[in-house]
Amino acid sequence: MKRANDFVVGATILVSLGAIVAGTLWMNQTDLSGRRGQQVAAFRDVGNVRVGAHVVIRGVQAGRIQSMELAPQGWVHVRMRIDAGNEMPRDPVVLLNESSLFGEWQATIMEREALPRDDDINRQIVEASGVRGVLPGATLPDIAKLTAVAGRIAGDVANVADRFHVAFDDGAAKELRASIKNVSELSALLAQTVRTQSKNLGEVAGEVSRGVDALTAASQDVKTIAQRFDSSTARGEVRQVVEDASTAARELRETSRRLLTLSGQLGQSQKSLESFLSAGDSVMSRVSRGEGTLGLLINDPGLYHRTDSLVKQLLVLATDVHKNPRRYVNVRIF
Amino acid sequence: MEGVGRSGRVQLERVGRAARFVASTSRATRDVATWIPEATKHARILGVDSLPIALFIALFTGIVLALLASYSFTGAVPMYFVGTLVEKTITMELAPVLTGLALAGRVGANIAAELGTMRVTEQIDALETLAYDPLSYLVVPRVLAGLVMFPLVVGMAMIAGVAAGWMASNLLLDLSTQEFLRGARLFFQTFDVRYGLVKAASFGAAVTWIGCWHGLHAEGGAQGVGRAATNAVVYSAVTILVLDAFWAVTWLLGHER
Repeated sequence: MKRANDFVVGATILVSLGAIVAGTLWMNQTDLSGRRGQQVAAFRDVGNVRVGAHVVIRGVQAGRIQSMELAPQGWVHVRMRIDAGNEMPRDPVVLLNESSLFGEWQATIMEREALPRDDDINRQIVEASGVRGVLPGATLPDIAKLTAVAGRIAGDVANVADRFHVAFDDGAAKELRASIKNVSELSALLAQTVRTQSKNLGEVAGEVSRGVDALTAASQDVKTIAQRFDSSTARGEVRQVVEDASTAARELRETSRRLLTLSGQLGQSQKSLESFLSAGDSVMSRVSRGEGTLGLLINDPGLYHRTDSLVKQLLVLATDVHKNPRRYVNVRIF
Repeated sequence: MEGVGRSGRVQLERVGRAARFVASTSRATRDVATWIPEATKHARILGVDSLPIALFIALFTGIVLALLASYSFTGAVPMYFVGTLVEKTITMELAPVLTGLALAGRVGANIAAELGTMRVTEQIDALETLAYDPLSYLVVPRVLAGLVMFPLVVGMAMIAGVAAGWMASNLLLDLSTQEFLRGARLFFQTFDVRYGLVKAASFGAAVTWIGCWHGLHAEGGAQGVGRAATNAVVYSAVTILVLDAFWAVTWLLGHER
């Protein structure tokens, strides 16, 4: 019985001690293999960070803060335990910041280039960079300071809102409504104008486009002419052209002179024609009045019928003469 | 006035006797040959046999604590703080105190009844006649068993309580293991375990000492034994709560994370 007690008690003690120690180490994530690395960072102030707080690299938990100690010249050295296999960023710096709204703080190891653009942080980092053998560190303001600033901003916003409330009464609202209506109408007019002008502009653009095409063609012609001119110049044909042009001018001048003469003759012919027409007009007037033979012939039906009968008889006679010329023509030489 | 003076003198006499008793027990530890054969027996009775009740209490405490935490954390507080609350509360407070109170009822009453019976049946007088020191033979092994086994029982209760909280969070609250562990490890320190175990050791020593004290001073037959057992439980429970406050004030208050 006594040996049984000894065994049971001994076993219980060993098992309990083992379980408690193992559980504590596991919860504390203790490194028994000793493969974890260490980094020390220098800060002027560590805020509310505590031993055991997380160390984070690129958002992933990579270790814990192992210890914090005051160092000479107003520095605080924070020793961080980095889990095995975690590669440090290039040119690393350490930021102490809150990880949640519930007082949790963490140390974030990041590249110097990835630091937030903040003058105070940069000043802290530059100052801590002068400490040899440690990583430079900076501490972000805690949530209490941020909320204090936010509270001040909220107060300012409240003041502005109050002033706005004073300035924006019913009259202002009505005026604003009227202004909005006017702006609406104005915008409608503007839209209409824009539509019209855009149509005109389209046409103008078309014209301009055609004009540009014409100009392009003209410039092409000019270019061609210039080329020809160049080639003509080069071959000495310009002088020939000028001489031809001079000859043509002389001939043209002669032609114009002849034309002038011709036009003078034409003027006389015109006069003669006018005279002839005048006479013709006089004759026709007389004919119309039934004066003279032709007038009588035209205006007297009996005369017309007799004349017509005469013409028919002449046709019969001519036909007969054509058929029997010997009946009417007897030519004897001897 | 005379009554007040007499009452004060009686209370001081009690305190003095208790102090002398503690001092005598401490001196009696030097008689190793007398108490060590008895130590494992009492370690089994006080510690090993108390494990089931301690684990039972811790299991249900862990479950209720996780559910209570999730009920309290509405909206703004992330659910992984359930792990933080369970770990901190079980390790530093509930496991030592609840286990201590449970063992105060079980162990304290047991010791007081056993020693009280021995006292009223004059077995202790017989031991003294045989040149046995009752403190070395009866008190020291019990107190040392309590001092050693209480922390172990409480340590197992801590593990069981946190494990029960994790299971409850996982099964009933749909909180993943990673989230629970994140919260549990967030503010975990080895100090939490040390603090709980030291408190448990002090509770164990107090409960066994008080049980022995009331048992050895039992008088008046079976009724006196019953009264001794009752007083042992009551005084042990009160002492546990006083010690809990004492450790909180003296150790926890000055501790820097």
